[in-house]
Amino acid sequence: MSATESETTRFPPRRISALLRNRAFLTFIIVALVWVVAGFAKPGFGSFGHLRYLLELAAVIGLVAIGQTFVVIAGGIDLSVGAIVTVSAVGVPLVADLGDPTGTVPVLIVLAAASGIGLLNGLGVAYLRVHPMIMTLAMATFLQGVLILVAGGSAVSAQNPLLHWFGNARPIGIPAGVYLWVVVSAITLVVLHATPFGARIFAIGANPLATALSGVNTRTTTMAVYAIGGLTAGLAGVLLLGMNGQGYVGIGDPYLLASIAAVVLGGTSILGGSGTYAGTIPGAILLVTITALITVVNASPGWRSILFGSLILALLLFSGRESRGR
Amino acid sequence: MSHTPDTRSQRLYWPVQMQRNRGVRGLFVVVAAFLALYVYLFPGLFSIGGVSKFAQSWFPLALVSMSQAILMLTGGISLSIGATVSLGAVIAATTMTGPLGVVGGIAAVAVAGLGIGAISGAIVVRLKLPAIVVTLAASFIIGGAALLILPRPGGAIPIWFSDLLAGNTPAALILLIVTALLWKLYLATPLGLSLYASGENPVGAYRGGVPVDRSLIAAYAISGLLAAAAGLFVAAQTGSGDPVIGTAFTLNSIAAAVLGGVGFLGGRGTMRGAIAGSLLLSVMINVMFFLGFPPVAQYVAQGLIIIGAVALPEITGRRGPR
Repeated sequence: MSATESETTRFPPRRISALLRNRAFLTFIIVALVWVVAGFAKPGFGSFGHLRYLLELAAVIGLVAIGQTFVVIAGGIDLSVGAIVTVSAVGVPLVADLGDPTGTVPVLIVLAAASGIGLLNGLGVAYLRVHPMIMTLAMATFLQGVLILVAGGSAVSAQNPLLHWFGNARPIGIPAGVYLWVVVSAITLVVLHATPFGARIFAIGANPLATALSGVNTRTTTMAVYAIGGLTAGLAGVLLLGMNGQGYVGIGDPYLLASIAAVVLGGTSILGGSGTYAGTIPGAILLVTITALITVVNASPGWRSILFGSLILALLLFSGRESRGR
Repeated sequence: MSHTPDTRSQRLYWPVQMQRNRGVRGLFVVVAAFLALYVYLFPGLFSIGGVSKFAQSWFPLALVSMSQAILMLTGGISLSIGATVSLGAVIAATTMTGPLGVVGGIAAVAVAGLGIGAISGAIVVRLKLPAIVVTLAASFIIGGAALLILPRPGGAIPIWFSDLLAGNTPAALILLIVTALLWKLYLATPLGLSLYASGENPVGAYRGGVPVDRSLIAAYAISGLLAAAAGLFVAAQTGSGDPVIGTAFTLNSIAAAVLGGVGFLGGRGTMRGAIAGSLLLSVMINVMFFLGFPPVAQYVAQGLIIIGAVALPEITGRRGPR
């Protein structure tokens, strides 16, 4: 356990070369380079308003990717995050406001429900030993059906002061959603790299059997990991609802692939056992930036999609390669 | 040893096949039960028309399940199957009424499928990137290409060709049987033989002289071909092309393959299992339709049945040695 931890948190003595091999740092550099080049090439890209807008979009992906990072490091994958984002974005308006003027109660109920869905995923993976991909895929299918039954095809709008504030307020010029992302990210990094729980997650991802044999309750830890996945996806869903003003079935679909891409671009091994959320943060920003640049190019949807896929593939050559050398 | 090698291998063949069936026997029972229920609800199944219609609704799913199962046998997975189905459909819908004709259109679809598969396979194998992320990126590229060829639903398939494949003929069933037989044949070739070995233990297979890289890339190419062929059939069914028609197939193909007992780690599972898994999914959808379930309730039931079918061996097998 301690070996994994020191590998991912502490820099070895040779600082410069270690920094250059640090994937999280490299991804940050790539984002910075892209922003500088794009800022010079395209006037308006580098404006404060535009960058702020990009960060606001990245916050949603970043939040979804928190849970995905946890799950992937623990050796699994969560294909239900998109559906959970939709559940919480559609769920808040559906929960009665219970006479609460601030709108906090419905949000808390929905977040609890999202964590519960994640916990169910964990239950299936840990106790029924269903493969994570199947468990979360079936969960996504199930939720999709429930959502259409409950919400129907129409969009529902929320009159929720709390969410409205999170989606639109800008204390000191920075969107409240970005503050939320920063706070939750800080908690995530601490939990992942400075707590026994975090160390156990890395251990499970690296070798579940050895971890179980050394006395770790892998089942409880696995369930906690998937519950975190549900919680952060739910958080992203309510933030998205706040930004959008309304939720509809399918609103969360794009965030499934985006969250996986952000995690992998950030240098976390898709095979589990190594990685850091510090890489996922620039990964999420990079994804949003690429999307924005492609929109600027003003190509047809087909070319945009091709460009997006090719760029991700090219970036993977930088960041995804050595994951097999474990 | 009085047996000649020929009869001895024959005597070994069936026991080996029985052993390979062991993991999927429960699935076969479930499929049979669902089929019986379906026949009970819809006696019209026992006619040329009934069988044809059912086979047509099943065929594309069976093809993509095989396409996914091949990759899962190699230890990989594909998230680009849905996009490849869409690409196959739009290529078919744009070429068949053009100067290339039906034969040229089929060739174009086949070349596109093989090419896409081979390129993805080469990237995964040669550049040593994880299959799941490569095919994720590839799904954007392939989906984009489909949108370039046909930005909105349109194109056309010659009516006689649509009637031949998806009219009142059992062509889909025959094609499926032929595909399954071709798979048997492929498994008997050197490349096919190395497929299981490369999936189960690539290093061991390599040291044993198996052309691991080549067999993996061939598996990706075949997978692409099957997915594109499914697109061709879907286009023939609908009579036109649609650049996003295949999206749902990616997840359904994984579900069918896993229901069929194909493992994620490679080398575990059988193609008959994957085909039975796809049969279960499509019979399930038909049965729920006849029971009057609203279409959305099918999602709920589908999710529950998938988890149930996968978790059942774990629940019942608790007492056995772990």
